[in-house]
Amino acid sequence: MASLTSDMVLSVLRHVQDPDLHKDIVDLGFVKNLSIEGGAVRFDVELTTPACPVKEDLKRQCEEFVRSLPGVTSVMVNMTAQPSKGFAGKRTELLRDVRHVIAVASGKGGVGKSTATANLAVALARTGAKVGVLDADIYGPSMSLMFHVTETPLIDEKQKLVPVTAQGIKVVSMAMFAEDDKPVIWRGPMVSQMVQNFVHNVVWGELDYLLIDMPPGTGDVQLTLTQSAPLSGGVILTTPQEVSVLDAKKGLKMFQKVSVPVLGIIENMSWFECDGCGKRHHIFRQGGGRRIAESLGVPFLGEIPIDPEVAEAGDSGNPIVARKPDSQVSMAYRRIAGTLAASLSVLTAERGDVLGEFDFKWEELQQA
Amino acid sequence: MNSLIAPTALLRKGDRGLVIGWNDGARSEYDVRKLRLNCPCAACVNEWNGEKILDAGAVPPDVRPLRLFAVGRYAMGVQWSDGHATGIFSYDYLRRLEGV
Repeated sequence: MASLTSDMVLSVLRHVQDPDLHKDIVDLGFVKNLSIEGGAVRFDVELTTPACPVKEDLKRQCEEFVRSLPGVTSVMVNMTAQPSKGFAGKRTELLRDVRHVIAVASGKGGVGKSTATANLAVALARTGAKVGVLDADIYGPSMSLMFHVTETPLIDEKQKLVPVTAQGIKVVSMAMFAEDDKPVIWRGPMVSQMVQNFVHNVVWGELDYLLIDMPPGTGDVQLTLTQSAPLSGGVILTTPQEVSVLDAKKGLKMFQKVSVPVLGIIENMSWFECDGCGKRHHIFRQGGGRRIAESLGVPFLGEIPIDPEVAEAGDSGNPIVARKPDSQVSMAYRRIAGTLAASLSVLTAERGDVLGEFDFKWEELQQA
Repeated sequence: MNSLIAPTALLRKGDRGLVIGWNDGARSEYDVRKLRLNCPCAACVNEWNGEKILDAGAVPPDVRPLRLFAVGRYAMGVQWSDGHATGIFSYDYLRRLEGV
């Protein structure tokens, strides 16, 4: 019997397809550090994101295909992730190691955007991704509460802000700079300045995902953010009823105007399941999020039910996905986080060689 | 789902031409002075009625860009040799300007 070669292993691994990128894992260059000792085969599969929703499935397929080869006695597959490069080629120094900046927006307030941002962050972090949250809701910051952050961030020797880490997530919030009971009363230009500071003067370090909790609406801060941060994509949160859906549409149009890909729509407060009878009550009507996603041609990312424990968990600084990761609500968040991660990888692959964040001097340009 | 137009290359053609290669394979060419004259900013165009405020006679004939930079992911900002720097040329707008 011929001895086992790496070519033989690679040729069976070609049967394993990435369902999102529609290519096999060998062509995609995911297979790394292949070693064969006698009948023992070991290799790494380096995915585009640690949050890959089909990680376990891919691993199982790899093991099965390799085990089917004659002479194989054991298979060790190590799943790793090198998150794909973000869209931007050239980033400001401090954002350079941030792969994806994602804005979480809503057309109107009160749809649970901060809660959703916190829980998505925890859901992404649970998969092994490095996650940061920027609370850009200047006028009503709530991330400090959601993550129970009481300390003020430190300033490093270069006069840059060091985020506070809570639940393994790096957090920066306006709440860290304002006194609890004093409102932030600022004019537009001051707010814009502050937001730019948050993006460009914070030492985020290496992150797979930086989630930005946007203030409600489509105004100054939103515009500043889309112009100063290279956003990979935007997510829009809505509740099912018509008035909220209408505003979500505006949020979506805003992203489209500034060419930020809309990753999809999440519907929050979709239903309440009675703990007595198990019946689902659609308190804010039904299906608004899905309808608007369909009518505007963007993905519908999922529904999140109402659970009183969500608010309780948020208020106590321990988001529901961290507190009860297997509850119905948490599972919804975790599924949505997986879908988000996958669609970001696809978008990056599709977009190709665009210039990203360029800054050229006229003299530097090459002659056509 | 999102057909996002974005540049893949910025090139100079002689001293007066700017060439932009796009991710859909198209290629646009602009005379830099004409680009300056079509600056869409609020100092050059009335924001409410779209009337042109900019006086073409006041723009030097040899005006040229000093710096070209990305604004978010939808537009290009230009700093000009005549000191003007508030124009944000969205990629959509640049595509519509083609051939001016």
